[in-house]
Amino acid sequence: MQCVIDLPAKWINPSELEAAVQRSGQPHGQDVFEVEFRFPVGSKLMIDAAIRVLSLANQLALTSRRVRLAFDEGEAGTMGYLNRAGFFDHLAGPIEVLPWRPTFSAAAVHRGGNAGLVEIARINKDHRDTTLPGRLAEALRRACSSRADVSELTNAAWTIFAELIDNVFSHSRTPLDGYAALQVYPRGDRVVVAVSDSGLGIMETLRPALQAESRLSGLSDLDLLVEIFRQGISRHGADRGDGLRGSAAKAIRYRADLDVRLPSLRVRLTPARGSYAPNTAHCFDRLPLVWGTHIGFTLRLTG
Amino acid sequence: MNERPSVIVLRELMEGAEGWGREQGRAVFQQLLEKVEAARGCTLFKVSLRGVERADISFASETLVELTRRFRSEKGFYLVDVGNEDLAENIEAAATRKVQPLLVWSNGSARVLGPEPSQGTRDTLHFALERPQTRAAEYVAERPGMTIANASMKFKQLWQQGFLLREESAADSGGMEYIYRRIG
Repeated sequence: MQCVIDLPAKWINPSELEAAVQRSGQPHGQDVFEVEFRFPVGSKLMIDAAIRVLSLANQLALTSRRVRLAFDEGEAGTMGYLNRAGFFDHLAGPIEVLPWRPTFSAAAVHRGGNAGLVEIARINKDHRDTTLPGRLAEALRRACSSRADVSELTNAAWTIFAELIDNVFSHSRTPLDGYAALQVYPRGDRVVVAVSDSGLGIMETLRPALQAESRLSGLSDLDLLVEIFRQGISRHGADRGDGLRGSAAKAIRYRADLDVRLPSLRVRLTPARGSYAPNTAHCFDRLPLVWGTHIGFTLRLTG
Repeated sequence: MNERPSVIVLRELMEGAEGWGREQGRAVFQQLLEKVEAARGCTLFKVSLRGVERADISFASETLVELTRRFRSEKGFYLVDVGNEDLAENIEAAATRKVQPLLVWSNGSARVLGPEPSQGTRDTLHFALERPQTRAAEYVAERPGMTIANASMKFKQLWQQGFLLREESAADSGGMEYIYRRIG
């Protein structure tokens, strides 16, 4: 059967993408042999949603499904942006693109030319790009230069990128590449960084590390993920853990919104904005299967 | 007895100014081991982080913390020239995870990264860090009411946990006692 993922005609962040994937059913379902992603006129993929689409499309192609991306607006719309971000450089060859695959890569031509964009970079342990965390951190520093804490923020961000990307190298065990990218949205006063892989998922990494803490090892994946955030939030728990927990703590300290998608669950964390609003975790489980770990975080440009 | 430390410049063992990830960390760790083994007989090492701009938690864990843990109670490693707070914080996170304290010295004062000493040994550590070396008897002399046995236990605990080094020495009484040396 065919599975159609109908994207809405507006800005598409991970939540919008998630809703569209849920409406489509189960793209990874056993009876699904064809998956189409439809982008109507006016739909605009944000970078974190874009690399999730890229990962999911490549996963579906790897499992012998016919995959099609249909862009109603052609290169004038979100397809042009995706080309600039390097999306098609990483999209599996057999995937059909309508109206056509871009004839040249705008990312290859203009790479590095826009201070507000770090084009989609692949994460592959056999082709380790040692400059990647530094490039992402530098783009973030430029974007957030008006923040009083920009220097500390840049160092913290480097650590977060380094840990997340190293995690993909160390644990993903997949034939598919992972991806990382950054985009500044000046009008939205935010910068979005996303790291995505199609491997085992961070739970496989975290569970062994938590064996000593029996209280945690009995938790469900969802509760465990929330607990990681909670430890990051708690004053005493901050930085008391492995790289991932330390990174979460740093992200929260700089009041980043965090969005973590695992094979069938998702947690979105919104830090407190004012003194009365607490940190909030929104949890979703029993979601359609998407392999891997997909992490997005969003920072305010102006603090 | 006041052994001069052997100096290791971490940056010289790294490919660049950024230490990233477990894999890179393991490669640097091997070089650190070689340095330590080459300095035969040396028990005190000053590790300079000059030129290291960044290091993530995984890298710090595989290098500095792992090295210190491996030689705990035998050889002491302390850090100098820690360039920024994020670097210190990442080393701290790694040290906490591996329950291995690391001392950072700057302008004559020490800071512990990683697990703190227990409430009961905090003052003892503070005392020990103020002098190159000390003995339980000296500590007792300045802490009226404290017994030698109690002081000895505190020093031993600090030594076992990796906060201090120690060596045997002939006591004035003719017996044997331990001299505790600060790491740094």
